[in-house]
Amino acid sequence: MLLYVGKRVLMMIPTLFAISIIVFTIIQLPPGNYLESYIAELQAQGESVDQQKVAFLREYYGLDKPIPEQYVRWVGGMLHGDFGYSFEFNMPVTKVIGDRMLLTIIVSFVTILFTWCVAFPIGIYSATHQYSWGDYGLSLVGFLGIAIPNFMLALVMMYVANVLFGTTIGGLMDPEFIGKPWTLEKVKSVLEHSWIPVIVIGTSGTAGMIRRLRANLLDELQKQYVVTARAKGLPPGKVLRKYPLRMALNFFISDIGSLLPHIISGAEITAVVLSLPTTGPMLLNALKSQDMYLAGTFLMFLALLIVVGVLVSDLALVALDPRIRLTGGVAR
Amino acid sequence: MNVRTSLLVRCALALATMMLVTLSAAAADEPPSLAADVAAGKLPPLAQRLPATPRVVDISRPGWATGRYGGELRMLMAKDRDIRMMVVYGYARLIGYDEKLQLVPDILESLDNVGNRIFTLHLRRGHKWSDGQPFTSEDFRYYWEDVANNKDVSPFGLPRALLVDNRAPKFEVVDATTVRYTWDEPNPQFLTALAGPSPLFIYRPAHYLKQFHAKYVGLEKANARAVAAGSRNWAGLYQKLDEQFRNDNPDLPTLEPWINTTPLPTTRFVLVRNPYFHRVDRMGRQLPYIDRVIVNITDDKLIPARAGAGSVDLQARYLRFDNYTFLKQSETRNHYRVYLWEKALGSQVALYPNLNVEDPVWRTLMRDVRFRRALSLGIDRHEINEVVYFGLGQESANTVLPRSPLFRPQFRTAWSTFDPKRANALLDAIGLTKRDDNGLRLLPDGRPMELIIDTAGESSEETDVLELIRDTWRQLGIAMFARPSQREVFRKRVFSGKSMMSVFYGLSNGVPTPEMSPSELAPTTQEQLEWPMWGQYYEQNRKGGEKPELPEVVKLVGLYGEWRRASDDSERERVWLEMLAIHAEQVYTIGTVTHALQPVVVSDDLRNVPADGIFSWDPGAYFGMYNVDAFWFDTEGR
Amino acid sequence: MSTLELPPAAGNVDHYVSTEPFEPGSALELSPEQERFYLASQWKLMWWKFRRHRVAVVSAVILLVMYGSTLVTEFLAPYNLHARHTDFIYASPSPMHLVHDGHFIGPFVYAQKKSLDMKNLRRVYTPDRTQPRPLRFFCSGDPYRFWGIVDMSFHVVCPAQDGNFFLLGTDRLGRDMFSRILYGARISLTIGLLGIALSFTLGLVIGGIAGYYGGWIDTAVQRLIEVIRSFPELPLWMALSAVLPVTWSPVLIYFGITAILALLDWTGLARAVRSKLLALREEDYTTAARLMGAKPSRIIGRHLLPGFMSHLIASATLSIPGMILGETALSFLGIGLRPPITSWGVLLNDAQNVNVVALYPWLMLPVVPVIVVILAFNFFGDGLRDAADPYR
Repeated sequence: MLLYVGKRVLMMIPTLFAISIIVFTIIQLPPGNYLESYIAELQAQGESVDQQKVAFLREYYGLDKPIPEQYVRWVGGMLHGDFGYSFEFNMPVTKVIGDRMLLTIIVSFVTILFTWCVAFPIGIYSATHQYSWGDYGLSLVGFLGIAIPNFMLALVMMYVANVLFGTTIGGLMDPEFIGKPWTLEKVKSVLEHSWIPVIVIGTSGTAGMIRRLRANLLDELQKQYVVTARAKGLPPGKVLRKYPLRMALNFFISDIGSLLPHIISGAEITAVVLSLPTTGPMLLNALKSQDMYLAGTFLMFLALLIVVGVLVSDLALVALDPRIRLTGGVAR
Repeated sequence: MNVRTSLLVRCALALATMMLVTLSAAAADEPPSLAADVAAGKLPPLAQRLPATPRVVDISRPGWATGRYGGELRMLMAKDRDIRMMVVYGYARLIGYDEKLQLVPDILESLDNVGNRIFTLHLRRGHKWSDGQPFTSEDFRYYWEDVANNKDVSPFGLPRALLVDNRAPKFEVVDATTVRYTWDEPNPQFLTALAGPSPLFIYRPAHYLKQFHAKYVGLEKANARAVAAGSRNWAGLYQKLDEQFRNDNPDLPTLEPWINTTPLPTTRFVLVRNPYFHRVDRMGRQLPYIDRVIVNITDDKLIPARAGAGSVDLQARYLRFDNYTFLKQSETRNHYRVYLWEKALGSQVALYPNLNVEDPVWRTLMRDVRFRRALSLGIDRHEINEVVYFGLGQESANTVLPRSPLFRPQFRTAWSTFDPKRANALLDAIGLTKRDDNGLRLLPDGRPMELIIDTAGESSEETDVLELIRDTWRQLGIAMFARPSQREVFRKRVFSGKSMMSVFYGLSNGVPTPEMSPSELAPTTQEQLEWPMWGQYYEQNRKGGEKPELPEVVKLVGLYGEWRRASDDSERERVWLEMLAIHAEQVYTIGTVTHALQPVVVSDDLRNVPADGIFSWDPGAYFGMYNVDAFWFDTEGR
Repeated sequence: MSTLELPPAAGNVDHYVSTEPFEPGSALELSPEQERFYLASQWKLMWWKFRRHRVAVVSAVILLVMYGSTLVTEFLAPYNLHARHTDFIYASPSPMHLVHDGHFIGPFVYAQKKSLDMKNLRRVYTPDRTQPRPLRFFCSGDPYRFWGIVDMSFHVVCPAQDGNFFLLGTDRLGRDMFSRILYGARISLTIGLLGIALSFTLGLVIGGIAGYYGGWIDTAVQRLIEVIRSFPELPLWMALSAVLPVTWSPVLIYFGITAILALLDWTGLARAVRSKLLALREEDYTTAARLMGAKPSRIIGRHLLPGFMSHLIASATLSIPGMILGETALSFLGIGLRPPITSWGVLLNDAQNVNVVALYPWLMLPVVPVIVVILAFNFFGDGLRDAADPYR
């Protein structure tokens, strides 16, 4: 067991390394660099730029150094905990990210819970009543979740919530509570604002999960032991609960691997539309303005989140399912 | 603006103001939000916080009234960086523009100007920084000797506005409240640079910044401090902290009406009143009236929605003309009103034929005035006005606005009617008579006339206008393609000559007075999209770029030089009018519609905001010249 | 299992012998239906099973209609792609009626009266119920270039001579939304197909090689797949889109976006191919083929793949919606396709602000075909996948 864990953790390292190279290459590929974007933006708004300042900054930030050297600086820094410098905010990246990563994790986590709660009953019902109208109907609802683009749904829901409930538009809480300590009012405000993103992001993950759960459960229901149990006279409900459901629970943990990337990327675009203080809007801005350390670090963090999430789910699966432990590997 | 007052008159004025102010200051109350601190002894009383002769703000616009203290002004911005807009809106400048676009001393008590060469600046005695430390000529000396002329902090030398023919002025400290700058040749940019929205700062809070400067704490200590804060060396840290315009360092003392108290990163900035602000109203009450300003950062696409939901008290930035209908709908429900201010651009959308384009065939065409005139005649500005601006704009060439004293009707109408017949005749006269099977004219070397216009790709307004122009130019036998680009790429393409035409907004200062610089009308910088290489030639002191060849352009350069050396306003006016006339005839840039409108959302309770103003970056600083410090909340009139 | 007594030793056991005539050489007689069933090819069996899934069939028909329409968009759209009507900016949708004043006069729309609300700066359109404008069919309308080659002006439906037919309203330049949605279908639907073709090929080739050869190739490919799967899709798409030089022509950008979408999608397919191949290559028929001297490509292509091609097709079909949504999302964010290309994503980008939601909601209608296509693909793919295993 420990060997397995150790092996998995060790395998994570080259993966992360490869990811960092890819991320850095992608960030560097667009023409120009941060300073040029910055100047161009000021120009577009009719402001003027002091050329000398610009030249100074270019030299100071090392934007005139060759690319492999910039990469080494970045990776070297990351290993020390120094994630580089954000040009846009004029401060170390870690200070900029601050709360945002935490909020992203929280939003993702809550959305996964939501997805579980919705997909579970629907998946079970679908599997046990295959090809019935209920099956079709619920599948339709689930598919609608994928089909409606997140951003459209977010925009409309946000507007409707403002007109119907008076919820302030955008953000995760009313502006007065930003930066203030957590009071009951603040919690209420956050809850008021967060149901929209959770629903919007959650609906797209639900359908996939329903489909996979349904397929898995159908497989289980065909197995010999279910037939045996029924033949022995167990009531259908009990049959369902005692055996196949346990296998289905297994599935929840293992499915995080497919669900997590989906949730996180869904969260990004929804966050952009709803202006949530998570990594989404900041990442989009950083990419557009080529604030390369910030964008690179965000991408690394997101990828890390997924890799770690998958690792955790695999480990949890190993802990839950003795078959895997005994046969020495995850059959996925 | 040429303030030359004799010593006697100045003294009399000072004495009178001092008396008036001390009398009223004695009777004036403390701003309630500071009363507690003053009572507790944490802040000195009002009379000691104000300079001996504060600036009295008393505006004679109808509807303007002295106000009451209190309230919180909410605004929305889209990026953390935008907090610098508070320095723009606050508009505390050594000398600044008033509502009538006249230059008036603000931080300075007075300014002596001899022939635009010798400037004597008189500070207000007793003026203090926002942390209570005195604001004196030492702050100017510190800047001059230890910042501007320090090779580590300013490796690239003095700012351009301080140089005339690359020569620096002579700086001298006359006494604790007087400094003088002397140039050999006139420097007409000096005052307008000081009054700019992003101004030339020739002073620093020396008492605060000295602790980071190697000369005052020693190289080792400064470097150690810098490294501890994450910078490479002391100059790096210094540069980061010495940023009065960026407004993101809560510890940096300021002279603006509100002080930023929130460090980055954040989505909500809180600015509190500056207890040492130097302006008062006519009753002697210290400005600003409003206690706090809250700036919330949100996605720029959500700002119109949030403004319409009543989340702001004053908003113009990120609101577009096409948001007006939506904003108007929710006016009564959400307790605000929407004003429409006039944007001060010479043209909302203007086309810039690149006279320095690489391709020789296109270059000859672009330099042929008949071609440019034909293109201009081939634009249906009326249609553009109707479609994009609801008919509320003004069809015009790219020139100054009627509000400017330099406006002449013939500048606006020159070559800007829609006359495809005449345009076709001009194109035929150039010799572009051959056409291909599709009716497109052929260039002299046989290629079909396919004009590619580069855009910075962000404004749907530009895309729409180009769509309309494409159709009318087709009638002239010219096929037009818009190529959206990213901003940096866009600029690079223009500067390198790869782009044959680009689209941007027109004259950025559409309301100039003769003292303002006509630098936009002559080749002065590479940034000018119609002649980047000629501009570069002058920007780099004849060492880069290309020397202009067209006779009229050379004339413009000469005229610009005349303006800089001019000694009085009437001469400057003459130069301006000549330059504008040349532009009208030569159509170097093709304007479309001007007088576009900017929606401004103002809360029902907010007073002293003009219903009808100019929305201009320079001059004007957007809200700056309208004295935001004198806006106030009238909660009793509800 | 109750009373079973064994017979005494060396005793007789009762047995039963049938007296029916018996010929060991005769084959089992099959009824015609059974014969058809057993002799049917794999694809025929799939088709029969698929037909039973009614919703999937309906979806297939819908998809066929939509893709078919992209071939003749120019005929179907009442206006051509760039037609503008400056007098009808932001016109609200004018629905089609059949009955006017109690009489049936065939399909028509009411003329719209425009007035300017100068207080709110709004254009107000009211239908004039006294002026029906009958629609013309199979008529000559806006000229266009069919597929960019032939000049034609034939339309299936056109507005009346002096009227307009804005079934779904117009946008801010007065362009008919219905026509734009039809033209947008061309781009949005084909991006999905092209993308899937690319990702299918990539997945087959890479997964095939990994599965067949095994060993270190397999490990390397597995690592690669893991790395790619660890990326959140959208941020990576965003980053890659930022790479595309904006000076590229629209067609190149279109292909660029397709390539980007495909580059992240092939992993699912590759894993499926790989695991199947790992299992199947131990089969006897594979060994037989190898011993007979077949090259690996032939073995993979002719012997192994057909066994699970149906699964692959089903998975591929289920990936198409992801691509369409991806393009829509990227264009919506402004980093995918841009005007003058017209795709559903670009149309939705125009609809992305509060003005639209509050005042001109018909500009959000392009989301409807997106939803329909994605639902159709999902049901279709589900049906295919159920049908792909006919022996279940």
